[in-house]
Amino acid sequence: MKYIGNLHKSIEKHLKNNAFYIDNTFFTYKDFAIRISKIRHTITGTVNNSVKLIGLITNDDIDTYAAIVAFWLEGKAYVPINPDHPIDRNVDILNSLGTSYVFDSSKKTDFPNFILLKPSEPEITAINLKPKKVSDKDLAYILFTSGSTGAPKGVPITYNNLNEFIEGINYDNEFKLNSSDKCLQMFELTFDFSVVSYIFPLLEGACIYTVPRESIKYFYIYKLIKTHNLTVLSLVPSIIHYLRPYFNEIHAPEVRYCSFGGGALYNDIIEDWSKCIPNSKTFNYYGPTENTIYSSYYKLNKNSSLNKTHNGVITIGQPLNNVLYTIVDKSNQEIPIGESGELVLASGQLTPGYWKNEKKNKESFFTKTENGKTIRYYKTGDLCFKDSENNYMYLGRIDFQVKIRGFRIELSEVEFHAKAKCHEKINMVAIDIFNDLGNAELALAIESEAFNTNNIVNHMKAKMPDYMVPAHIKFIKEFPYNNNGKIDRKKLRTYFK
Amino acid sequence: MKKEEIFEKITPIFAKVLEHNNFNLTETTTTNDVDGWGSLTHMIIIEEIEKEFNIKFKLLDLMNMDNVGDLVKAITSSIS
Repeated sequence: MKYIGNLHKSIEKHLKNNAFYIDNTFFTYKDFAIRISKIRHTITGTVNNSVKLIGLITNDDIDTYAAIVAFWLEGKAYVPINPDHPIDRNVDILNSLGTSYVFDSSKKTDFPNFILLKPSEPEITAINLKPKKVSDKDLAYILFTSGSTGAPKGVPITYNNLNEFIEGINYDNEFKLNSSDKCLQMFELTFDFSVVSYIFPLLEGACIYTVPRESIKYFYIYKLIKTHNLTVLSLVPSIIHYLRPYFNEIHAPEVRYCSFGGGALYNDIIEDWSKCIPNSKTFNYYGPTENTIYSSYYKLNKNSSLNKTHNGVITIGQPLNNVLYTIVDKSNQEIPIGESGELVLASGQLTPGYWKNEKKNKESFFTKTENGKTIRYYKTGDLCFKDSENNYMYLGRIDFQVKIRGFRIELSEVEFHAKAKCHEKINMVAIDIFNDLGNAELALAIESEAFNTNNIVNHMKAKMPDYMVPAHIKFIKEFPYNNNGKIDRKKLRTYFK
Repeated sequence: MKKEEIFEKITPIFAKVLEHNNFNLTETTTTNDVDGWGSLTHMIIIEEIEKEFNIKFKLLDLMNMDNVGDLVKAITSSIS
């Protein structure tokens, strides 16, 4: 596999360079290579060849990152498991994989029913980075996102998917790192923007600066920029919303690239932000996890008044070289330019399908024969239109999915767990609302007289990650309904203002 | 202003913003120790503290706040 071979070459070539800065400590590529080799030693000694999936507890330390590369060199896939998420949810995910193996670098583990992998104890200093042969269809990782039926949904990505993605980005030659770059990695490893944030630096011998989970991220990121003169930033828009009151104190001329993704990017804040990073090329990326990280992007203009926008939101641009976009109506038929419809896409980056979820696969994928070729499309659930210059504009979701802090959440999953602890049938609706900074937050409206919600909240905390637990709860005696007899979510939002 | 006085003034601010008083602020308290103290609530707490003491923090102060002790130090130096 090309990208794995390139990772091998890059690590060997840059042994003296710093590879990671984690919690105030630098690790060189040599340190990294030794840790990878130790983990490979453990895998070859413990894990059967036929086992392809290994749960990876994301402790975000150097061994967590080394494990990712070690798994790939061994022809295996990582399935990131966040130790801060509820244990029930994590065990459900691991059980659905059918794997017995979990890699956990922490001293104490929460997964007693699995075979625990740790880096081998004896001092192995021999570096072993030669990749094993893999097939295109073997998996590189599986990420679990919120699912509508109360259980998380797995998105498997193959080696070939990831390879196609890297080729797609490199094709345009707009984003080209070198070995002296210092790159931010602010994302949870359960979120696929993390892959971009570590893979491109590793392929070029650059250094990756991580953000501790418990830190106040936006201030920690600024500290890294200020103290270490970072050159490459990959951010979600909410980070600059938080930093906005302090823009006049930020001056980071070293930043060469700044990428945004995971939410609507507004042109007015970009106008101010670009003064903080005057020498940066800035991009707005878009892409569902199902199509391997990024599917399209827009390169922002130095003069922000030239940026293509709709209602102040910057366009998601044009698809990568190997990605096909079409806007369709309800019967999957292409609609004319300028009209809004669902974005469907096809490419070599596209997942082979949700993990053990035939029902969802039937709903989300369809095939179409074009010029004698059968093309498999994914229905993104995103409402978009294409303008006359072939730029795509994102308008919102077609279904009940929202994004909080970049994480995709099915509102019905939140409602499912909220209702689970109620004996009586009470109407509950989860909605996304916007706080004063313009960041989305989750709220729960309950159609009832007020009552104590401790039980409900504790249950939600036990079943879902913190970003899925509503930050606001309100009791409303009678829900507003629209003309179609459906709960009027727009009106519900006004109760939270 | 004495440290104790600052603690007395900031504790109700935390309680108001976080909507609970299930915590005991000491110099070594971090966001990890207090339920609900995260990205957004931190920003609101900072704004409320600025109003209460009539000060304006610099980004340089804010980026080096790792615990409540650092916060109290920054308040002390801002009012003096």
